[in-house]
Amino acid sequence: MAPLDTDTRVAPLGGDQIPAVPTGGPVPTGGPVPTGGPVPTGAAGWTPLARGALLDRLRVTGRPRPLADPDRVDRLRRSIEDRIGPLAGTPDHPLVVTKGSLTRALSCDAHREPAGFSEQPFSLPLAVGALVDVLFRQLVTVGSLGDPMADGLDALRVDDRRAALLHWIEGLPYGDRRALAGEVRRQATGLVERWPALDPAWLPRTEESMRVALAGGSVELAARVDLAVGRPGLDVASVGIVEVKSGSRRPEHRLDLGFYALVEALRRPAPPFVVATYYTRSGELDVEPVDDELLAAAARRTVAGVRAMERGAGRGGDGGVPGACAGCATQVPFDR
Amino acid sequence: MSPDEIMAALVRNGCAPTRGTRITDALLAPPTGSASEAARDAVRGRLLATVPRLVERLPVGSQVTIGLPQLRRLARGEGVPTVPEEPFTWKPAFVRRSLGLATVEACLDHQHRWGPTRAVGPVADRAVAEWQRTGWQTYHWEPWFAGLGPGARSAVLAEAGTWAAALWTALDWRRFPVPPRLGGPDDQWVCAAPRTVRLRGRCELRAALVGEPTGLHAPPVIGTALVSVASGVPDHREGEAELAFLALVAALRSPSRPVPDRVVGLWLQSDRFRVVEITDELLDEAASRVVAAIEAVVAAGEVTPAG
Repeated sequence: MAPLDTDTRVAPLGGDQIPAVPTGGPVPTGGPVPTGGPVPTGAAGWTPLARGALLDRLRVTGRPRPLADPDRVDRLRRSIEDRIGPLAGTPDHPLVVTKGSLTRALSCDAHREPAGFSEQPFSLPLAVGALVDVLFRQLVTVGSLGDPMADGLDALRVDDRRAALLHWIEGLPYGDRRALAGEVRRQATGLVERWPALDPAWLPRTEESMRVALAGGSVELAARVDLAVGRPGLDVASVGIVEVKSGSRRPEHRLDLGFYALVEALRRPAPPFVVATYYTRSGELDVEPVDDELLAAAARRTVAGVRAMERGAGRGGDGGVPGACAGCATQVPFDR
Repeated sequence: MSPDEIMAALVRNGCAPTRGTRITDALLAPPTGSASEAARDAVRGRLLATVPRLVERLPVGSQVTIGLPQLRRLARGEGVPTVPEEPFTWKPAFVRRSLGLATVEACLDHQHRWGPTRAVGPVADRAVAEWQRTGWQTYHWEPWFAGLGPGARSAVLAEAGTWAAALWTALDWRRFPVPPRLGGPDDQWVCAAPRTVRLRGRCELRAALVGEPTGLHAPPVIGTALVSVASGVPDHREGEAELAFLALVAALRSPSRPVPDRVVGLWLQSDRFRVVEITDELLDEAASRVVAAIEAVVAAGEVTPAG
């Protein structure tokens, strides 16, 4: 299999310089998403990366890829296990740590959100997120989208975890549903126009679930990534991880990427070489090359989060970790 | 040097084997000692003598089914429900394994050169076409899948393709001297009685273990290994006996075939594996787990009703 950084059998470059689609027109509601047309621009005339250029941005980080190194895995593991202290979790009832639970545990009162998807009140942005997630999965898996709203609802119908959301969407008043369909179509169009074809030899995997047991099974790190690309297990890092977001940039998104990198690094001989967030609303791509520093920072944050969970910090304060609340960060620098 | 130290040294020298190679070598290594025919006869006799008595107080005609999921729940100190809690309806997770295995098999047969994530769609389409042509449902999900819209179909394909890709990369398929058998019917052994007890062993892969080649002859097959794919992380409460259950059922089902020599548990989400060599003692211990599970089921009164 060709490595991700050298294979040239990818969608051709050049699709990123196509004129913008006019905005502000009537909301499209039906029909398949056209392919091969112009690429919509982002705000203020900025042209998002598309196709080959987008793929290159993901593949070529400008840094050497980490080598597989059992010593690194041991160091990371110890850096967490030695510092989390006595735990409320036990091997029989492990403390399950997710990106969401970490963010909540480390958030101040002002920025703490409800625990988990199931407890978040349904809203149009939440519905857009769920629909765009399944449409992205469809695009990666079969390479095309039909009518975005129909396809998205179709996919939600076979996911019983989304039954309540589906019911909520189906009960929306006409105007809201039309607005939802319009936004979903807009983002789906952007996806189809910009997202690159992935070489099947890279084994693109959607909704890949990752688990790591720590401290003798007392703590479990759990993550599910929107997209993992690259065959794992070689002696050099070869996996890239992409998280898809339908909303705006938030500081915790970058921290989520670090958590994904950490979990992958702990479960495999080699860490991922890159973690990235792709914003379907704007076409922005935030890329984080993975190195020891990023992994160490993610491990420290995980320790802080686990300690905060142990103290029940979810009920107040920022877990005693100054600056740990992602929502309080005034500005987080991003690569572009 | 420990295996990890050797691995670390290999990595530093830039010649580390893939993790798939490590797992595959562990899977295909020559057996270190097998369970005897006498042990197989003994556990069969023990189960035939014990099980009917255990289920005596259940309604006549009722059924108890014990599989690895039940034993795992028991090991975790949870109940062992054998009756589905809600009516069965197809969903992507239920198609994942069978379609994923068919996809890996198609890739091994060189029907698809690009690997499982690309192959999964054509494999599903072929299954549906075959059902439409013959009326035979190889996987049972064909009619359901055929009736789905594009979005739902892609969700099914994504689920199975991702699972298949994880299995595809977990093993080094080039190292199998004899093509492994993927999926297939579950091993089953029924302790026939007025109340039926059915042991069901489901494994994802059966591999032949071969010895040294002699002369111009192909290496002889000297044993069998089973692979069981699980989700999550290995549970510390689960011992070797749970995995050995799969060898037990295979041994009971086919008395004329050798007892499987090895069972490998593969946890794809956490990238962990566990190798269990099947011995006389372990076979007996697996039988004990079965007895305990049946007792738990009977105590809970959770059985498939008569009729």
